[in-house]
Amino acid sequence: MDFVSHDDDTIAEMLKVIGVDKIEDLFDDIPKDILINGLNLPEGLSEPDVLMKLKKLGKKNAVYSNSFLGAGCYFHYIPTLVDFVVSRSEFYTSYTPYQAEASQGYLQAIFEYQSVISRLTKMDVANASMYDGSTALAEAAIMASAITRKNQIILIEGIHPEYIEVVKTYCWGQDIKHKIISLEKLDDELNQEIAAVLFQNPSFFGDIEDTSKIVNLIRKKNPNCLIVQVMTDPTCLGILKPPGETDIDIFVAEGQSFGINPSFGGPGLGIFTAKEKFLRKIPGRLVGKTKEINGTLNGFLLTLQAREQHIRREKASSNICTNQALCSLSALIYLVSLGKTGLREIATQNVQKSQFVKNKLKKIPGYEILNTKPTYNEFMVKCPNVSTLIRECKKQDLLPPLQLSKYYPHMKNVVLICVTESNTKESIEKLFNALELANNNTEGTA
Amino acid sequence: MDEKELLIFQKGNNSTHTNFIPKLDIEIEKLENIIPRNLLRDDIPIPDVSEVEIVRHYIKLSRMNYGVDSGIYPLGSCTMKYNPKINEYVARLAEFSQIHPLQEENEGTLQLINAISVLLAEITGMDGFTLQPAAGAHGELVGLLIIKKYFEMKGVKKNKIIVPDSAHGTNPASAKMAGFSIIELQSNQNGEVPLDHLEFAMQQGDVAGIMLTNPNTLGVFDREILKITKIVHKHGGLCYYDGANLNPMLGICRPRDMGFDIVHLNLHKTFSTPHGGGGPGSGPVGVIKELIPFLPTPCIITTDEGLVCTQDRDHSIGRIKAFWGNFGIIVRAYVYILSLGAEGLKRVGQIAVLNANYLRIQLQKKYYLPYDRICKHEFVLTDKNLPNEVTTEDIAKRILDYGYYAPTIYFPLIVNGAMMVEPTETESKKSLDNFIEAMYKIYDEAFNEPDRLKSAPLNTPVGRLDAVNAARNPILKE
Repeated sequence: MDFVSHDDDTIAEMLKVIGVDKIEDLFDDIPKDILINGLNLPEGLSEPDVLMKLKKLGKKNAVYSNSFLGAGCYFHYIPTLVDFVVSRSEFYTSYTPYQAEASQGYLQAIFEYQSVISRLTKMDVANASMYDGSTALAEAAIMASAITRKNQIILIEGIHPEYIEVVKTYCWGQDIKHKIISLEKLDDELNQEIAAVLFQNPSFFGDIEDTSKIVNLIRKKNPNCLIVQVMTDPTCLGILKPPGETDIDIFVAEGQSFGINPSFGGPGLGIFTAKEKFLRKIPGRLVGKTKEINGTLNGFLLTLQAREQHIRREKASSNICTNQALCSLSALIYLVSLGKTGLREIATQNVQKSQFVKNKLKKIPGYEILNTKPTYNEFMVKCPNVSTLIRECKKQDLLPPLQLSKYYPHMKNVVLICVTESNTKESIEKLFNALELANNNTEGTA
Repeated sequence: MDEKELLIFQKGNNSTHTNFIPKLDIEIEKLENIIPRNLLRDDIPIPDVSEVEIVRHYIKLSRMNYGVDSGIYPLGSCTMKYNPKINEYVARLAEFSQIHPLQEENEGTLQLINAISVLLAEITGMDGFTLQPAAGAHGELVGLLIIKKYFEMKGVKKNKIIVPDSAHGTNPASAKMAGFSIIELQSNQNGEVPLDHLEFAMQQGDVAGIMLTNPNTLGVFDREILKITKIVHKHGGLCYYDGANLNPMLGICRPRDMGFDIVHLNLHKTFSTPHGGGGPGSGPVGVIKELIPFLPTPCIITTDEGLVCTQDRDHSIGRIKAFWGNFGIIVRAYVYILSLGAEGLKRVGQIAVLNANYLRIQLQKKYYLPYDRICKHEFVLTDKNLPNEVTTEDIAKRILDYGYYAPTIYFPLIVNGAMMVEPTETESKKSLDNFIEAMYKIYDEAFNEPDRLKSAPLNTPVGRLDAVNAARNPILKE
């Protein structure tokens, strides 16, 4: 099938207007020897046939009734109105709002998104979005290097391992050097040549750090160094102290938790915020409020475009143009749907439910919780038999927790358990069945 | 379109529902016993608004916005074609949307990514693809990092990239992000790459390659394309194809056959995935065999046990995004390619060019066309010859009054007062004719009622906005 509207007569009529005999004549300027005679692809399929094929393919993916896997991608409940609103075709079939007067609806929504992110994080400025949390962090490193004119950064262990890889790739592109160290070593390693310190809080391992202590340490040692915080599940901001209250220079996060489906890890949402004084160095799009030239009404438009690639070209602060607009719309609807009451309640439930699991775990011999600091909705557990645990979880229709050996080969028997508000009491009981079985059962260590 | 609407923050009606949160059914502790008080926040300045108020608010905003489903969207170089609804349906199936990137039972997603890689390779003539990049510019960065790594491995120092002045603005910005400096090549009077200048630049020995889009941003096919890529290769450089303008080439001519080594595609342009008002997109990168080892990780490889994903790749540029690419977008593009098949894709290329030339011929009767020849997917008009100092911006704003979206304006930079028009293959003749009629009326207004053009738009929720003031006194939140 195709989505062309013309019949043969219409095509003939249009060719006549153009003044050529056949469609092929429109390609006369292409060298003959590189014109191809069709593609070697299967024939097109009708809608029901495509659907059948894709459903069959989908069956090869497992959908679980409940999940204890997080590690950068989370199953939170998504209010039905989120998809209802983003499915409005005036939103999802529009382009980047270049013509402001015909795009006021979307521009206002992006302005509201920037506002709601600012309110939640208490950071001065939020941009219209980045691709995801990892690229937002990488761009933050580059931005810090450009501001400080230094080309070394420090990454603190506990940043999502895939984010670290992405930062390394971006930094290699710009000849920015990096060092990965533990928080304890920061005092020793921080010198005047460092452009930025990047850390994740709550960490990949679940620990909640006291941001103000980290900030004080850095400020005392190198006042010019930029402090960058990243977060992978910002629902925690429903209860935790926001980065804007702890003197963070650039705060970035993965916003997938805000009303966006996991979708095998993308599309997600790169949240990017910074202090006001760095406004003109921020990558990506910004929507601003202004007035009519010849009237009194307020309106919204893309602003400060002089930072951007289509005007500044190689002098731009970044190359990003298309971002994750529709995902930022999802996040906006999610955040206003919950409101302050719901956001606090969600975060509270994440803490309480994971605390409930932690408390219960302590009573089962053979398991050990490795976190010594407070945690939000993820924590590390040393297990007597990981492979049995994974297998038993799947049997119970639970998506099992992450085996940390995936990223850290030496952490052989440790899992990262994620408990959110969407874990029912029943699913928690099932998890404990699996944990008990994996404790009694010593076979199956394949 | 509708009138103005208050901000959501002004709607707070202090409804404190928690409709979207399950009832807490476990024993709880005092929060301060779990997390110390000094790490907790006080207020959250986000109002509680009822569901009905939220829905009405955003439905109202949607009515103040224009999409492809509203009508023709002739935004040049953006390929605003119809987004088939089946794509949306499939992407939302739980078997795709509810899959965690780190779960083990993911054979279906890996097969899908693998399958679309094979299809894209056939469409472009390339040997291998990565689906990781999240957008076109992200793909450009990946392509350039591959070039950087390639020469690094060879131990050859080449730190410059040639970018013609007709290129999309992302090209030079991406090259800079990959650590290259840019040699801007001035286009000749035909809007094409001047071979003598290219040869001269390449002879300097420090040029890693060229970034080119073909058809270019004037909508014309560079007739010397084979010579261009040959010159670059002769001097040891690599050729990068900016796939933003691939639509008219589908089933007609492939970047590889033009001599390109690396290509990025925009699934949200050529392959019908919705642009979403500025993303999410997807920018896969295809390469020739020699460059496959440099592709980013993770990648999918075939083993005896089926498809697996691997992190190991000696020469890889590394990871460029967490997890996988924008998988939800990749699903949509896959559905589109399967739906169209070989014949359907060729028809896309043909009709995109037919529609553009039909529109060009009709609009050329009134408006100035600086590059007067058969175009491909788009063409560029200008405000030259318009009376009463009517500008391109006036025309664009007036088009909005007629209920259509405007072309891309003031781009490419090499044409003064450019209006870049791309209708795509999915517009009917009737739709094109209606647009032409509006453009004719606007042309007459330029002579008879120029003030109306200068005060346009008049029928939109707001009048022309003050961009200068917005940049001078940025208000970015409330």
